[in-house]
Amino acid sequence: MASRGRLIVIVTALLCASIACTRSSAPADDSKAAVPGTGSSTPPSQPVNEDAKALAGFLERVNQYVTLHQKLENTLPKLSKESTPQQVDTHQRALTKLIQDARQDAKQGDIFTPEAQAVVKKLVTKIFSGPDGAGLRASVMDENPGVPNMKVNSRYPDEIPVSTIPPQLLEGLPKLPEEMEYRFVGNDLILMDTHAHIIADFVPDTFTK
Amino acid sequence: MSTDVSALKRTSVACLVLGLVLSLDARRVVTDAQPAQSQPAAGALPLTMPNKEDSLKFAVLGDFGTGSKEQYQLAEQMKRVHEQYPYNLVILVGDNLYGSERPQDFKKKFEDPYKPLLDADVKFFASLGNHDDPQEQRNYKLFNMDGKRYYSFKPDSKQSVRFFVLESSYLSPDQVAWFEKELKDSNSDWKIPYFHHPPYSSGERHGSDPQTRNALEPLFLKYNVSVVFTGHDHFYERVKPQKGIVYFVVGSGGQLRKGNIDTKTGLTAAGNDRDQSFMIAEINGDEMWFNAISRQGRVFDSGSFTRRK
Repeated sequence: MASRGRLIVIVTALLCASIACTRSSAPADDSKAAVPGTGSSTPPSQPVNEDAKALAGFLERVNQYVTLHQKLENTLPKLSKESTPQQVDTHQRALTKLIQDARQDAKQGDIFTPEAQAVVKKLVTKIFSGPDGAGLRASVMDENPGVPNMKVNSRYPDEIPVSTIPPQLLEGLPKLPEEMEYRFVGNDLILMDTHAHIIADFVPDTFTK
Repeated sequence: MSTDVSALKRTSVACLVLGLVLSLDARRVVTDAQPAQSQPAAGALPLTMPNKEDSLKFAVLGDFGTGSKEQYQLAEQMKRVHEQYPYNLVILVGDNLYGSERPQDFKKKFEDPYKPLLDADVKFFASLGNHDDPQEQRNYKLFNMDGKRYYSFKPDSKQSVRFFVLESSYLSPDQVAWFEKELKDSNSDWKIPYFHHPPYSSGERHGSDPQTRNALEPLFLKYNVSVVFTGHDHFYERVKPQKGIVYFVVGSGGQLRKGNIDTKTGLTAAGNDRDQSFMIAEINGDEMWFNAISRQGRVFDSGSFTRRK
């Protein structure tokens, strides 16, 4: 429970900086105190908003996924700096299969719950409707045709390049563990397992194309 | 802070482009209207590099890993240049392998075409493009990424140079903070970033990338970056200095988008969207020289500039 409380504080700070913007005009000293992890800017009695709760829950589920990922990856021979492409490829595909088998029943929305999806869409809408929105959207959609019938737990298609992710979006979304990253596939925001090359979950129709 | 690159000095030796002698200040663009030679030029290449003994010599290559005949032909020119001008470093500006990245692809799209250079102990240092699988490539020994998606390195040279290799498709707060710290901590005279998405480009297909520019340009200016190498748009372009910084787009190593330079942007100092190409560059003290060389063995752009101080 203590770690959950800490997560909520972290996500609250992130949201205050990126979505709600209620502190955007706060003095510099005050915003310094809102560095994630310090918790000193959030009085204990301050109510935690629903968006923060949703993202805290999202982070918990990501961490559960990564715990499973690490447990499975630890059963495989470790890669080294001397690994050959054959060894890297074998490792990746073995991990893909282990995770796919372990998450056979995974479905869209397991990690990005409806509450978390709503927060993500709100953030994307805010960024894409800003002054740089058109350029950012064009950059995201560059060489990004989307994948028809995308499924959770499927391998990210080898032939499809990855999209760029606007730095503003990465500033607003929770920081992910090293194994995971955000990408767009078409206008869906995916949570990608980079070691296993798997789509762990996604938020459909994040923005209007 | 002086802006010496604004006084870009161009050598006139290589201004012979398809029979046209261009003035030093003319914009040089090889376009669809100017057909490429059908056969590579024979004999020694007309390089215009100083080739000084203790200088840092390197090549720049991007968007190359197709496994196509054209990629192999350009690789042959790189070998030919190396015989004449012994660079020992190649910086890769991303899209290192297109399509599948199975073990056989690393051989066909990288190890085979560049075997003569690899055999000559030329080191390749890769950055990741949007077609690259980070997990596969950062662990690939011949790309010298040391398991990292972004990193910096100081080449083995008497020159004061550090390269900063970024993953431009994922400019996370962590990466940008790391980049700033690396720039701040570096005491190298030349701080040279390279990555895939161009902050400035005349590509009709992609063009200037606003998110890369917004995130990185303030740091380039703050820490006296003089030159930036990128790819993504499938042609060669030397952009007119922007706020004192020279930008090169070298996305022409295998893929090619013919006629894709939009001459109306006003950004182009020189370009070639007619043939595959790569660059060589040389740093000696405060000066950098460069030549751009096509698959046909033509030196179609050259010049030198002084670093910002």
